[in-house]
Amino acid sequence: MKKIKRILIPLLVLALSGCLAGCKNTKDNYRTLEEIKKAGTINIGVFSDKNPFGYVDENGNYRGYDVYFADRLAKDLGVKINYVSTEAANRTEYLQTGKVDVILANFTVTKERKEEVDFALPYMNVSLGVVSKNDRVVKSLEDLGADDAVIVISGTTAETYLIKNYPDIPLQKFDSYATAKEAFENGTAVAWANDNTEVIAFAMQNKGYTVGIPKLGSSDTIAPAVARGNTSLLEWMNQEIEKLGEEQFFHKNYDETLADTYGEEYKETLVVEGKKTD
Amino acid sequence: MDFAYMKNVLPLYEKAAVLTLRIGLEGIIFATFAGIVCAVILYEKVPVLRQLVMVYIEISRNTPLLVQLFFIYYGLPKAGIVLSAEICGAAGLAFLGGSYMAEAFRSGLENVAPLQRESAYSLGMGKLQTMRYVVGPQAVATSIPAFLANVIFLLKETSVFSAISLMDLMFTAKDLIGLYYKTTESLLLLVIFYLFILLPVSLTGAAVERRMKYAGSGS
Repeated sequence: MKKIKRILIPLLVLALSGCLAGCKNTKDNYRTLEEIKKAGTINIGVFSDKNPFGYVDENGNYRGYDVYFADRLAKDLGVKINYVSTEAANRTEYLQTGKVDVILANFTVTKERKEEVDFALPYMNVSLGVVSKNDRVVKSLEDLGADDAVIVISGTTAETYLIKNYPDIPLQKFDSYATAKEAFENGTAVAWANDNTEVIAFAMQNKGYTVGIPKLGSSDTIAPAVARGNTSLLEWMNQEIEKLGEEQFFHKNYDETLADTYGEEYKETLVVEGKKTD
Repeated sequence: MDFAYMKNVLPLYEKAAVLTLRIGLEGIIFATFAGIVCAVILYEKVPVLRQLVMVYIEISRNTPLLVQLFFIYYGLPKAGIVLSAEICGAAGLAFLGGSYMAEAFRSGLENVAPLQRESAYSLGMGKLQTMRYVVGPQAVATSIPAFLANVIFLLKETSVFSAISLMDLMFTAKDLIGLYYKTTESLLLLVIFYLFILLPVSLTGAAVERRMKYAGSGS
């Protein structure tokens, strides 16, 4: 016992003191607009496995709706861009620890997230959706049996929504889009809940799947996020998004990156052009 | 520090700790069996099997557990073999651990002076008897430190289980950070729970090691 105490107590003290010292600093771990310009490089967090929003193509280049926008931001800011690949659950963390200046990883604006990071103006509409196999299309979550697992990605709004509203549904959690898709194709779960944009894209890109629930929960928006309190960068981004709205930039972005997947059908429901929505 | 939050999520950590321990122990038990069998095959230089064991050990030791898990969990279903995530986790751990255990036991066996084996044979003892009464006990005693190091190593390796959707301690902490953004609290709980699992193992290990010192490697 003595030995355990001798080891445990210093460890606990170390962990606690480390936090007390560290916690205060995390809020100021961002670079201002000036600092980014001076450094000449902006770090932007994007997905690397969420086709067609943020993914790496065969040649190793980042592509997608988010990336197209990120490229433009860097160009207008006059700096080079450094893409940082992120997982859904890491997004707030990456901002708070200063690993990235901006998150452009299909980040849905929610009340809880607003307390952790600052969102700029939205550039996309989104809500949740559920995709399932054709031989058993899930039209309502009430239809699920007690053992019917639903796939979600850790750290997404779909996960939060299901935990809150359907606590009895067994969730199969994955930390990346790539592994979730693979598992879903292997048939480990009856359905996959995610952003409806994502599940619609999945059903369009893979034969044998139907989006049984195209809309679940509330309608939300997707926006770029910066570290909380980074006003100089936030204000510049908002001006930039308004300016881009005037030239219908996001419609063009849709044509370039999303039209191949969604066709024209979803253009007006998906795209938001630089205006305040709240 | 948000202690109310920590109290709230405690049951999730407990569940994760149980899962981590259960799959860890299943994996370790199978790894130990595999290790003993492989070590004896190597020590007795059984033809054909010996080559197979050597190939297995090289594959198992020179590929990361993550890759092995991907193969079992995402690869095998393509060949029509669908296993639950839990079985995949234990199987992956056993596959990885088997080779490390084999090496630990083999070095234990080889540490027993050949003279002892030859003496046993000349006294008229058979192969099995020699293994059971002369070589085996000494080999076990000398391989205990390596065995326990492997146990701790394998328990820690469970932290990559998130890749196959197993809610082990590591994934639970990551998931909670993504859900509630309480990074420091979640990570602190993670450290405490890992220590809670691993400290007893390493302390019992030290005690067992002291007690097993009787085996001399007498020549």
